[in-house]
Amino acid sequence: MSDATVLRLDGAAFTYPGGAGVSELDLAVEAGEAVALIGPNGAGKSTLLKGILGLVPLTAGRVQVGASAAPVSADAPNDRAGSPEPATHARNGMVGFLPQSAELDPDFPISLEQVVIQGRYRGLGLLRWPGRADRQAAREAIQTVGLAALAKHRFGELSGGQRQRGLLARALASEPRLLLLDEPFNGLDQANRDALIDTIRTLKHRGVAVVVSTHDLELARLVCDTVVLVNGTQLASGPVDEVLTLGNVQECFDGVGVEMDEHTLVVPGHEGH
Amino acid sequence: MSLVDVLFGSFAIPFMGRALLVMLVLAVVAGVVGVLVNLRGLEFISDGLTHAVFPGLAIGLAVGGTTGLIPGAAIAALGGALALTWLDRAGITSDAAIAIVLTATFSVGVIVVSRSSDYAGELEALLFGRVLTIPPSEVVPLVVVSLIALAAVAVTLKQQLFRAFDARGSRAAGDSSLVLDLVLNAAVALVVVAAASTIGTLLVLALLIVPGAVARLVTERMWWLFPTAAAFAAIAAWLGLAAGYAISVGGGFDLPAGSTVVGVFVIGYGIVLLVRLLLDRRATRPGRRRQAAGRARDASGDAGMEDLLSTPLLSSRKAR
Repeated sequence: MSDATVLRLDGAAFTYPGGAGVSELDLAVEAGEAVALIGPNGAGKSTLLKGILGLVPLTAGRVQVGASAAPVSADAPNDRAGSPEPATHARNGMVGFLPQSAELDPDFPISLEQVVIQGRYRGLGLLRWPGRADRQAAREAIQTVGLAALAKHRFGELSGGQRQRGLLARALASEPRLLLLDEPFNGLDQANRDALIDTIRTLKHRGVAVVVSTHDLELARLVCDTVVLVNGTQLASGPVDEVLTLGNVQECFDGVGVEMDEHTLVVPGHEGH
Repeated sequence: MSLVDVLFGSFAIPFMGRALLVMLVLAVVAGVVGVLVNLRGLEFISDGLTHAVFPGLAIGLAVGGTTGLIPGAAIAALGGALALTWLDRAGITSDAAIAIVLTATFSVGVIVVSRSSDYAGELEALLFGRVLTIPPSEVVPLVVVSLIALAAVAVTLKQQLFRAFDARGSRAAGDSSLVLDLVLNAAVALVVVAAASTIGTLLVLALLIVPGAVARLVTERMWWLFPTAAAFAAIAAWLGLAAGYAISVGGGFDLPAGSTVVGVFVIGYGIVLLVRLLLDRRATRPGRRRQAAGRARDASGDAGMEDLLSTPLLSSRKAR
């Protein structure tokens, strides 16, 4: 594994205790590279991202986050398989995660600023409280996603797209080397979408590796270097133009009725892009 | 008896002074812990703990007399906290299962108490407290138990709030949900222990739930919730004790102190709710209708007024 490789999956499978999951994953993501995960609903895109975080047990193969970190292997006896607690690499501060249109209580009394500073908690541990440097990092993250004017607003008062950007700011504040985004573009209007795309570009320039699950082919073309097609297993991966062919996409989405052009993917029974 | 006498003078009497000290410490701690109970929607677990503590109190009383109360309750409460944390994590959501467990623990307590000579008196003291007859030797243990609960919550506070707001995000950031839940449930359990020998195991729920609900009505700023709840709880406890004294001694109408305190908590909540609704109605004129509706819904949902007024012998599981 070269020093620039931030994430590596070797024959990995992530399986929920109930049996659902995603398998045969082989992937290497370098610093500054962005990978799009594309597949139908229920294909295991979210499971893959949660597996990398350690929220879904690794049941085969290996996962390595960061060149120096020890790989986590499904064979080795460790606390990970079946354990509901995140594996160690998720704790070491390298991975930021943007959940899918988060199911957060809109009435919760918390400001955007207070949400973003949660991104610093991992580095602080239990006993230390956020200091000046942490507040500064939170402010910068809010600026990066373009919400500086709303920092003091209650999180629940923001629009859906602004909340999404707020959670992205929280992920940024943790200064991750790997950022995982789960369907970040669902339900966003054009302005929020553009802001999110700009932010991802900025992050790539800073050397952050990005893995994003999406139905949005335009996003994949605009900011991603590599595409991985997933439906229960990994079907194809490689440069965007080589992988995003109609044949590949039809196979991934179980065949008939898939239409695609430069920007969109139309699948019967599927919403949106 | 003048108002000054009632509000200040009455607490110069040793038993009233002790009652005030214990109630103030308990109310402030319950208020702070209660904010997290409110934000996490843990009313169910709190209710469960009030039942789980009862057999511990009864056995402690049977074995060691009144000095056995706090150790007995502490063991039962921490056992209850472990059991309820496990039930919650195992996703056991059946009301029937929980009602069976809770009524079972309660009946064990009643059986133990019934073996003693002063059955009715002791049962009443355990269920409804004996805040005015706390012996001086119990004051320090009660304060210590309360402060341990406060410290447990204070040390984990930022992580508790993170988990309350975004459970998955908190886990993804490496926090152990098991540890956080155990710490919070143990803190609630310790509050129940401290309350059991002051205002009783049945009434403590009001101390845990009302201040948090009031704070939610008063402020939407996260860090203001805690001082607001603590201040409300302290003032209501003080006024409650003073009112009970004035009516019992001055008015000649004998009121149980613990219930009077809880009554003042609920009246205070009612007043704050009314003011909130009026303020929201004024603010609602064009445009802000939706927010006010949300607030009103909050208020009725959070408060569970009927929970406070009915005896919570059977808890109904809060939908989550």
